[in-house]
Amino acid sequence: MAANNAKQHTKLFDSEALKQVEAEKKRWLEQTVKNNEAEDAYSSDSGIPVKLLYTPEDIKDFDYMNDLGFSGEAPYVRGVYPNMYRGRLFTVRQIAGYGTPEDTNERFKFLLNNGATGTSVVLDLPTIRGYDSDDPEAEGHVGAAGVAIDSLEDVEALYDGIPIDQVSSNIVTHLPSTTVVILSMFVAMAEKRGIPLEKLSGTNQNDFLMETTVGSSLEVLPPKASFRLQCDAIEYASKNLPRWNPVSYNGYNLREAGTTAVQEVAVALANAIATSEELIRRGNKIDDFARRLSFFWNLFNDFFEEIAKCRASRLVYHEIMSERFNAQHPKSHLMRFHVQTAGITLTKVEPLNNIARSAIQGLAAVLGGAQSLHIDSYDEAYSAPTEEAALISIRTQQILQVETNVTNTVDPLAGSYFVENMTKEMADRIRAYIALIESKGGLVACVESGWLHREIADFAYQTQQEIESGQRKIVGLNYFPAGGKKTEVNVFRYPEDAERRQTEKLKKLRERRDNAKVEETLKALRVRCHEDTNLMPYIKAAVEAYATLGEIEEVFREEFGLWQFPLV
Amino acid sequence: MERKIKVVMAKLGLDIHWRGALVVSRMLRDKGMEVVFLGNQFPEQIVNAAIQEGADVVGLSTLGGNHLTLGPKVVQQLKEAGMDDVLVLMGGVIPEEDFPALKAAGIAEIFGPETKIDSIADFIRKKVSLKEALG
Repeated sequence: MAANNAKQHTKLFDSEALKQVEAEKKRWLEQTVKNNEAEDAYSSDSGIPVKLLYTPEDIKDFDYMNDLGFSGEAPYVRGVYPNMYRGRLFTVRQIAGYGTPEDTNERFKFLLNNGATGTSVVLDLPTIRGYDSDDPEAEGHVGAAGVAIDSLEDVEALYDGIPIDQVSSNIVTHLPSTTVVILSMFVAMAEKRGIPLEKLSGTNQNDFLMETTVGSSLEVLPPKASFRLQCDAIEYASKNLPRWNPVSYNGYNLREAGTTAVQEVAVALANAIATSEELIRRGNKIDDFARRLSFFWNLFNDFFEEIAKCRASRLVYHEIMSERFNAQHPKSHLMRFHVQTAGITLTKVEPLNNIARSAIQGLAAVLGGAQSLHIDSYDEAYSAPTEEAALISIRTQQILQVETNVTNTVDPLAGSYFVENMTKEMADRIRAYIALIESKGGLVACVESGWLHREIADFAYQTQQEIESGQRKIVGLNYFPAGGKKTEVNVFRYPEDAERRQTEKLKKLRERRDNAKVEETLKALRVRCHEDTNLMPYIKAAVEAYATLGEIEEVFREEFGLWQFPLV
Repeated sequence: MERKIKVVMAKLGLDIHWRGALVVSRMLRDKGMEVVFLGNQFPEQIVNAAIQEGADVVGLSTLGGNHLTLGPKVVQQLKEAGMDDVLVLMGGVIPEEDFPALKAAGIAEIFGPETKIDSIADFIRKKVSLKEALG
């Protein structure tokens, strides 16, 4: 690869010319600008100082071949594929999920018929948290904020008539304990349909931080157990599902909960480091699994910082994979990521403004080189998206794809003095935050001690104070406030009878299936929880017997015990 | 010295989004109230905590769509425990068309995601002092 031979410094600027620029800038500041604004008057959302103007002086040590190079080659700052969107446009991947699997199957088909190029399913809270729809704790949640999945039967209904060997399937499984079960159901469903496993392409989330840090909830598994299940799913997929991304390290929800852009990427990378170390400890080679690790970023409104974040994240990931893990396969070095625009930046006042916010965030994702994109719908501060709002999100993506021409050339902001300077700053700060996590014993230890929870809580608190004081401006809210003017918004209503329909189905399943077989498979799983072995085959055997998600999770809860979420 | 208003704050049920409840808890503390943040709890545990703490206010945070089932349950169980003077508030992503039903069930007020902390604190102070005046 070209970049590997390019260790010598490729100077971009003549030192005499730089001196001249520096002198001229000094003159310009004194004679033309003539203001005495403090140097630190402006900064990015992550606190990186922003100057009035950038010149070659700000990237004077910039080395084209080593710091930037070409797309599809190390250090991958310019993108993971050589021709980027000319080869394949970013996947339009809008989340859907409500009611029963049959309800969501209809929304899938609506989105696919209108140009979505993959499915993305979000699960209801009982499913995410590993409870069956007829569990007392599920009351009021079934089919709300996501679709209810209880058994293999539901996964079959969810993907009925969807060509899963042709369109990719994103499954927002959140917790590893849910992932190992739902992924097993997905694989079992494909096998029943006669689809070869190598044709299955998709992603599940599978991030132990979702269980232990990002989402507070009752009855969570301890960080070590959750982390183990995360690694089990990755290890299983690396051996059986060559086109499946068994993890999407979730920077997104970290950011929604409360982190800076720097922390978002650094924590997700620290998770990738921890996973890689664990899988290597188990006897796997880095190149066996690294090529299918994927990431999930949240793009806020600070346009250039977010673009720089995307570029810097690829650079740092490549460094980790090459220098720390000595990965050899080119694909092991590629940070591929999905972007969802920032739900938390959307306002309830003047909700149509959210279309502008989401479009700008979506543009940053494209300029940052995202592989797939979800643009939030304007009604997010009210409810799950209505069909009308979801369609505007798809249309926004399509406008970016075919009307703006921004996909025609690779990494168009490269070489901007400002963007390159910001990219370097982001990369430096991401590295420093990873080092901080490692100095505290690594990511799992940072979760166990509650340190990461405190970091999140402190940032969320600080942000809210800035909003309340007006220091952080939000249009229509604290900047030219709407003053009681109201916009009518159609609110999406979850199907009210979903809970009844789903629990009736489940009752019938429990009567129909071979309950002795279910017991037998659950017992086998229970024993393996205490062995240093991958649990996926035992989970898959249980789901094939139509054991439910709740029944399998109950095994985890009993065998691994429960962990108290640190209240901060 | 004026006694501190006591608030018990909880995320309702399985809902997993803790940012709002946590930030509001901290900010009400800044406003001089005593806040016990329970994290996630179901109605029964929330009511037990309210009894033990002698709460003036119970704050419930929800995003996941369980407000209509679990919110009124908290009010009902407080009533059954003879704690019907406790002010029950809700916050989060709750469709406005559900407000009348929640208020009819005894939820004193519902605060959306863009409410300033001052409004919440003022509302609590007014209601709690009124309650004390009526004694």
